[in-house]
Amino acid sequence: MLLFVVFFLYPIISGLFYSFHDWNGVREPTFVGLSNYRWLISSRDFSRAMTNLCVYLLITVPIGIFAALGLALLVDSFTGRWANFFRNAYFLPVVLPAFLAATIWRWIYAPNFGLLNMILGWFGIPAVNFLNDTGTMMYALIAVDVWVSAGFNMVILLAGLKNIPTELYEAARLDGANKWQQIIHITLPMLGPVMFFVVTYSVISAMQVFDKPWLLTGSSFTEYGGRRGALLFPVMDMMGQAFGELKFGLASAYGFILTTAIVAVTAVMYLLGNRKETK
Amino acid sequence: MTVIRLARRPDVWTVLKWVVAIAVAVIAIFPLWWMVNVVFSLPGEPVSINPRLWPTSVAAGIDKIAMIFAETEYFRAYVVSLIYSILTIFGVLAVSSLAAFEFSLFDFPGKKITIAIVMLSLMVPTAVTIIPTYLLTSELGWLNTMQGLVVPGIASAFGLFMLMQFMRAIPRDMIEAARLDGAGHFEIYWHIALPLSRNAMVTLAILTFMRTWGNYMWPLIVGTRPEMYTVGQVVGLFNAPLSHQTVDVVMTANLLAAVPPLLFFLIFQRKIVEGIAMSGTKG
Repeated sequence: MLLFVVFFLYPIISGLFYSFHDWNGVREPTFVGLSNYRWLISSRDFSRAMTNLCVYLLITVPIGIFAALGLALLVDSFTGRWANFFRNAYFLPVVLPAFLAATIWRWIYAPNFGLLNMILGWFGIPAVNFLNDTGTMMYALIAVDVWVSAGFNMVILLAGLKNIPTELYEAARLDGANKWQQIIHITLPMLGPVMFFVVTYSVISAMQVFDKPWLLTGSSFTEYGGRRGALLFPVMDMMGQAFGELKFGLASAYGFILTTAIVAVTAVMYLLGNRKETK
Repeated sequence: MTVIRLARRPDVWTVLKWVVAIAVAVIAIFPLWWMVNVVFSLPGEPVSINPRLWPTSVAAGIDKIAMIFAETEYFRAYVVSLIYSILTIFGVLAVSSLAAFEFSLFDFPGKKITIAIVMLSLMVPTAVTIIPTYLLTSELGWLNTMQGLVVPGIASAFGLFMLMQFMRAIPRDMIEAARLDGAGHFEIYWHIALPLSRNAMVTLAILTFMRTWGNYMWPLIVGTRPEMYTVGQVVGLFNAPLSHQTVDVVMTANLLAAVPPLLFFLIFQRKIVEGIAMSGTKG
């Protein structure tokens, strides 16, 4: 119990305290009121990170979930050994640490002899510098992200699919519903609560994305985010402010803004979720 | 007419289904397969335009593994990561199970509030706690120490939540009976609650291992000295744009980092999948 208080409650409260101070970790903190927050909101990196985050969220979450749902339905349609085999194959990327996924893909994206450019070369497409071209960097990250998250969400959705009573499908079949209609009218509504969890969890974890963009770009406290900050995300910027610039007060303020955003998004989703259920 | 349609249509579907299923499996597995191939081929070869579809030289791969252990800090990082993971697993199991035991089977004043606080902390993202936790760790003088790595990770709200769900199902009659037989508080925990929740404990241990082994952010800021580097950090360093490591070295490091979680997955695949599914459907 003490541990929980020390490592959860204390950080939150002291974080709030530091966020109103100017502190480099060595000198005594000095009270600066809201100026950390004011500085942040007007900073260019902050707005870039937030813009990136919005774009990233809007693309990666829907794609990730559609992919996961597709995979879940696909695996569910197999039986026995093959169902197991495909499920495990799709889950494999999840088992690896996130840092590994990023480092492997970094080499696949490599400009000259990277695997992906080689495949593009077969079709006569000129090499693309995926991780250094501001136009492709975001999609390169999203691809890695979906590669990992689809398997994770698939497993949760699969468990949800297994809980749908088969009688419902039989009844629908007797009524003459085809596969597609069955998915729309039975599978999706019945998956509701599980789907809700998957969406919420995906959004919350996507908002804190760190390892992958960090390792796909400069991966040090002084150089991160990639060319023109195309892969700059809030948590990365926060870590950079704290451990690169030693502005702990500013970084704490960063954390609080981000948390507020996360809590707000979660709250909105809960409200939407509840409204749907009462309908 | 209808008979023919019924007989033919599933065929098209089945073929399509298999094609898609296999294609996706290739996408999911190929990057890993590629990594293995880069390691198990002659040095210099991987950089060529030639795609690595099959491993060409097992001996070269073994050489690379031996080289990376002998010539870099990788072996030390491996040991650090293993100790870090094992200590965290034991810590999480001990703390979560004790707390879950108290919370789910006994009433005490302030119980509701403490549960609420713990649940709240479950929702607070790492983003907000990581910097204050770092500052606290540094005030304790725990930077670059094993306890600095391990202890903050032990307070796992997720583990507590999972075990609480599980222990709630233990019938209270059993505990009353044990008490009548003269069993003390700790004996009830040790002889009844723990054995009954063994399944959940194993799942929690495996998930904790995966999480700790793959934790990149926390070791990055706490273990800044080379002696405390974890596998994740070394892989990250090898991989940094200015590190001048060849693809051989990087992929060998990657492969070695992937081995423990992959082994775990092969052995405990059912438990892992169930554990994740459980946290999703009950949570």
